[in-house]
Amino acid sequence: MGYDIIEKVTELSLSGLRLDAKLARAARFILDALPYEQCVFYILDPDGKAFVKRAFAGVDKALICSYGATDGLPGLVKKKKGPVEAYKLDTASTVWEGVNDAGLKGYKSALAYPLRDKETFFGVVYLKSARKASLSKSKRRTLGIIALQASSFIKCADLAESHERIHRDLLKIEERLASSEKLMALGDMAATLAHEIRNPLLSIGGFAGRLKKHLGPGSPGIPYVEQVLKEVVRLEKLMNGVTGFIKDSAVSLKPDDLNGIMEEVLALFDDEFKAHNITIQRDFSEGAMGVAADREQLKIAFDNLIVNAIQSMEHGGALRISTSHEGGRAVVSIADSGGGIEPGNLGYIFNPFFTTKTHGTGLGLPITNSIILRHKGLIEVENNPGVGVTFRVTLPYLRQLRSAC
Amino acid sequence: MRKRILVVDDEEGLRLLYKEELEDEGWDVELAASGEESLEKLEGDAIDLVLLDIKMPGMDGVEVLRRVKERWKDLPVILCTAYPHYKHEFGTWASDAYVIKSSDLTELKQTIRDILGKRQ
Repeated sequence: MGYDIIEKVTELSLSGLRLDAKLARAARFILDALPYEQCVFYILDPDGKAFVKRAFAGVDKALICSYGATDGLPGLVKKKKGPVEAYKLDTASTVWEGVNDAGLKGYKSALAYPLRDKETFFGVVYLKSARKASLSKSKRRTLGIIALQASSFIKCADLAESHERIHRDLLKIEERLASSEKLMALGDMAATLAHEIRNPLLSIGGFAGRLKKHLGPGSPGIPYVEQVLKEVVRLEKLMNGVTGFIKDSAVSLKPDDLNGIMEEVLALFDDEFKAHNITIQRDFSEGAMGVAADREQLKIAFDNLIVNAIQSMEHGGALRISTSHEGGRAVVSIADSGGGIEPGNLGYIFNPFFTTKTHGTGLGLPITNSIILRHKGLIEVENNPGVGVTFRVTLPYLRQLRSAC
Repeated sequence: MRKRILVVDDEEGLRLLYKEELEDEGWDVELAASGEESLEKLEGDAIDLVLLDIKMPGMDGVEVLRRVKERWKDLPVILCTAYPHYKHEFGTWASDAYVIKSSDLTELKQTIRDILGKRQ
């Protein structure tokens, strides 16, 4: 005992072994060097409620897998923030300082050292022997150093784990960002295309109308021209769904009240709600809901969501609009009772030109998505097939609405 | 006397369409392909009404509207655009009417008749 074991344990710390394997080997080294038959590493679980057996060496007669955070010798070590030693004089299970530890059954002496750094208590290393064991001062010192080493194993493992978790999260975020950026670019492209089509279409329709006038009644060309006019009207109607999204116009954000914006959007649909027998439930937060908004663009974004909701409830239904403030975010949720989205279609609803409607452009949601992203917001869908859809839009919340206005 | 309308639009096809359709209704039509050109025309000719596209390269319709209203306060201006939502922004001020572009020019012609009728 002495430098040998310290060297071995230090080598362990540099090895690529997993935490459990490192601790198990350290436990073996300890038993080889000290007069104990059992060595267990109990680690406090993340919520601090229990010690869990993480690694061990030697046979445990008492077979204790875990302790409550305040129970037994480990609990006492935690309370004292230092090593605790116990001897059992006879068969009584109550030992040193009133510690009641079922794990001591069948043993005569026990020693537990804390595993900790300056701030955190990780657990204990717990040694037991059926004989009476006592350690010299230098051996205790060595055991203390090994306990410190073991603490550093645990801390390293924790750090490695959180590093891995952060890396994983980051990859996920990156993936999401890439796909939303892709969708935004596609949405822009689609809107640009729609805009570019509008004027030529007007020209085609207008001149077809003039041609019709020139042909005069009874001309055999009339049905052809009429067909052209009919198609133009159809395309124009389709385009009306996309207008409003202005290419290249970066949003110009000003402090605004989200509740006010929603009220204004809803007011535009009063007649349609009545016509389709749709009941509206407003569940707005109290007072103003501050957001940085390009009012006209944000209205288009919500407009599209409400148009979709109405189209899913042509024969009546309920629309619930709520706004709330959740941890630094302003949240609008728009829930319809229109039967939900076919699960197989859910992954495509933000893709430009994807539509399930006979006369849809497939641009409503992509445009909404693009506008919300430009507001540094997020749009989420909660689909309940057979019931309805809830769109949840979150935007950064502006606390200082009044003073900023 | 025939009323004279100035049509401002950067699309050649649309200028021609408006010219023919409005002349059929009995109005004289002047054309301008840009905001800048429209202001030059307004300096020279006696115009009774301006039909103005909003989205144009260079000086856009909103800027033209501002300048027109500064100089010729009583000259009626009709804004034309593909974007219905502009209505909220501009409909309430400055312009006398707002028309959404459509191949069916009935609404536009009616709006022109209403405005010119009021001025008689």
